[in-house]
Amino acid sequence: MNKKFHYFLFTVPMVFVLAIATACAEDANDDDNNDGEAAEEEMSIGLVGPMTGGFADYGEKAHRGVELALDEVDNTIAGYEVNLVVEDSQADAEQLTTSLDSLHQRDEVDVIIGPSTGDEGEAAASWAQDHEDVLIMPGYSAAEDMTMRAASDNLIRAGWTGTQTIYHFGKFVHDELGHDRIAMVGQNYAYPWDQAAGFKRGFYENGGEEVHTIWHETDILDFSSIMNELQSISDDYDAVLLNSGGADTIAFWGAWEQYGMGEYYPQLLGGTNVADIPILEEVTDNFEGVYSSMHYSEDLDHEENMQFRENYADMHDEEADGIALQGYDTMRVIIDALETTGGDTSDVNALTDEIMAMEVDDSPRGSFYFDEYGQAVQDIYIKEVQMVDGELENQVIDTYEEVSQFGPYEGLEEEYMEQPNNSADFPADTAEEYFEELEEYFGQEYIDELEENDGWE
Amino acid sequence: MNQISKWIIYTIVALFLLAVPFIMSEFFTTMMVRVLYFSLMAVAFAFLASQIGLVSLAIPAFLGLSGYTIAILETREIMFFPYSAMAAIVVVLFVSAVFGIFANRSKGIYFIMLTLILGQIIWAVARQWASVTNGVNGLIGISTPDAMQFNVFGANVGFYYVILFTFVLIVWAVLALTRSSFGMKLKGIRESESRMIMLGYRVSRLKWVAFVISSLVAGIAGVFFVYFVGVMHPSAIDLDSSAMVLIAGIFGGVYSIIGAVLGMSIVQTLEVVLNAYTQRYLIIIGIMFLLVVIYAPKGLMGLIYKNKYMKSLYDKWYKGRKDS
Repeated sequence: MNKKFHYFLFTVPMVFVLAIATACAEDANDDDNNDGEAAEEEMSIGLVGPMTGGFADYGEKAHRGVELALDEVDNTIAGYEVNLVVEDSQADAEQLTTSLDSLHQRDEVDVIIGPSTGDEGEAAASWAQDHEDVLIMPGYSAAEDMTMRAASDNLIRAGWTGTQTIYHFGKFVHDELGHDRIAMVGQNYAYPWDQAAGFKRGFYENGGEEVHTIWHETDILDFSSIMNELQSISDDYDAVLLNSGGADTIAFWGAWEQYGMGEYYPQLLGGTNVADIPILEEVTDNFEGVYSSMHYSEDLDHEENMQFRENYADMHDEEADGIALQGYDTMRVIIDALETTGGDTSDVNALTDEIMAMEVDDSPRGSFYFDEYGQAVQDIYIKEVQMVDGELENQVIDTYEEVSQFGPYEGLEEEYMEQPNNSADFPADTAEEYFEELEEYFGQEYIDELEENDGWE
Repeated sequence: MNQISKWIIYTIVALFLLAVPFIMSEFFTTMMVRVLYFSLMAVAFAFLASQIGLVSLAIPAFLGLSGYTIAILETREIMFFPYSAMAAIVVVLFVSAVFGIFANRSKGIYFIMLTLILGQIIWAVARQWASVTNGVNGLIGISTPDAMQFNVFGANVGFYYVILFTFVLIVWAVLALTRSSFGMKLKGIRESESRMIMLGYRVSRLKWVAFVISSLVAGIAGVFFVYFVGVMHPSAIDLDSSAMVLIAGIFGGVYSIIGAVLGMSIVQTLEVVLNAYTQRYLIIIGIMFLLVVIYAPKGLMGLIYKNKYMKSLYDKWYKGRKDS
């Protein structure tokens, strides 16, 4: 009896291993069978992004946007029923690669939406280069290089880059608000670096003098020392630009009010994610008057946007924002392309051709099309937070039309990509040093032209 | 169980492992590779934990060191395989030799703290030294060397075989080490360090050697990791990764190297399999971990070794005793 029990104990892990093995093997067989029999009814589309942890919002909201787009077509594309396979990447590059492998090999998916954070985006770009038979359309990842230095034909982004949304904000801050010297507080990682770079370019090239950068770790939540520093230099700078997002933004605003920073700096400016709806719900009413820029604003008053916000609120019981919009738009682009190609996901070349040639004019954000690197060219909105019916809301006060990922550097794409990656110290903190770098990469001719036109045309 | 049936089982297992790329799906093979390089980390962890009773949280740091060395050398086109891999191993040996000097003066909770600090230092350097490591963007575009990409019967399964053979070789070597006189001395330190000092053994040197060996195994895991994933990112060596190795080790049984491999396989498999069904899979893994800690404190291998035959294997593998 006792001996039997021992054999039983030995068998348990063995059975476990075998069960896993057969489960995987059966999955593969099932898929093979499906190709023959049931393929006419079902099509699989993969979705990957952070669904757990601190970045979960970026993955989940994109997911909800995708669900809305699928719901609008009754979950059917070209006669196929859509099976959305969702994988969690935990905002971890290694886990992301595993998730992509799982989707590609286990579920035999040819179209993947995601990922949603910057570092995952870089890893996805690398994976896309090795897997040319899979179409990847990022969720909310804004890393420049995905569609620049590491661009590949099978990665197309209907979203944004960290620099794209903010080039013209730099111009706006100098030309319209009249600031010459800015103090910038930012989280020390890739996305804020991109934002800082785009802002500095627009700011210096249109006459700005200095952007003093203060970098801090992500999620420090205690801004006392930074507030002190800002107070001590308040005579030298005209305004503060908060270059972050999420919990840090809310904590920053708490400290800002506590230290009465409004007396030192009448104007607070924000990076693209600062005036996001979840943040507007958390901050006090004094947040009114903060300027920022983005490729979407919830107050756009055309029909498509109204409809989108209403449907999204109905379906998910929350306000739509930029992240949800991008999930929605990305899915719609894929739906349109698949409708045209008859629902065949396996021919990725035909799909990418179809998408690259697309001109989307009924998106809630306005219209957009793709440049030769696969990045959306779109309108950028300068927004101001205003009090509307007792609630804080973004209001569009200026629009820059058809901005590409290279912003003002159209025709200078090669030169732009010759530069090093954006980092904490590149581009430089003062206009003087910045123009030295500019001369090195773009030549004196470009600078002369800037001087002649007094900034961008 | 007699000699013949034992060899039959070994042969079946060996044949199965060799045939995996052909009889199983591509996905299964990919997951096997993933489990194998993570298991190497588990072996590195379990070697220290089971032999001298030192719990190291710096295992992923050494994976990171070799991974980053290869990634930096290859993306900057300074060196390529096999020289980059050799350089990576040299870096790992050097850093672990230096750090071992500090680590071997401590034991118990202080050793855990020291290795935690080492792990965090390397993680922080990877994150902050952006001009070299590319910071939180990570280094991308490291391709698998041709030497690991040979075809077998027309299928591109070279990588699987290379990592499988390396893995078997390392596990065999580590097991051999544990029953050598060196391994016996290490176990002596685990049981009573002061007694070993009194007997005249150079305890700190023995601990230093064990630490370097463990780091070397983790470094080899890093070589496969970076070539397989193609991306080197600080998140691969953060505190979560240390915790993952620790959890896998406890899951399978801290006092057993085979157990650590089993634990890591289960944790990794669960993560991938459950992820397909629910986004709350981490809760399920957590509950399973809780059950193991409460009902099988020696881990799954502790359960298995209650079996008489398995116990004799355990004695043979770890203590060098013949079947009793």
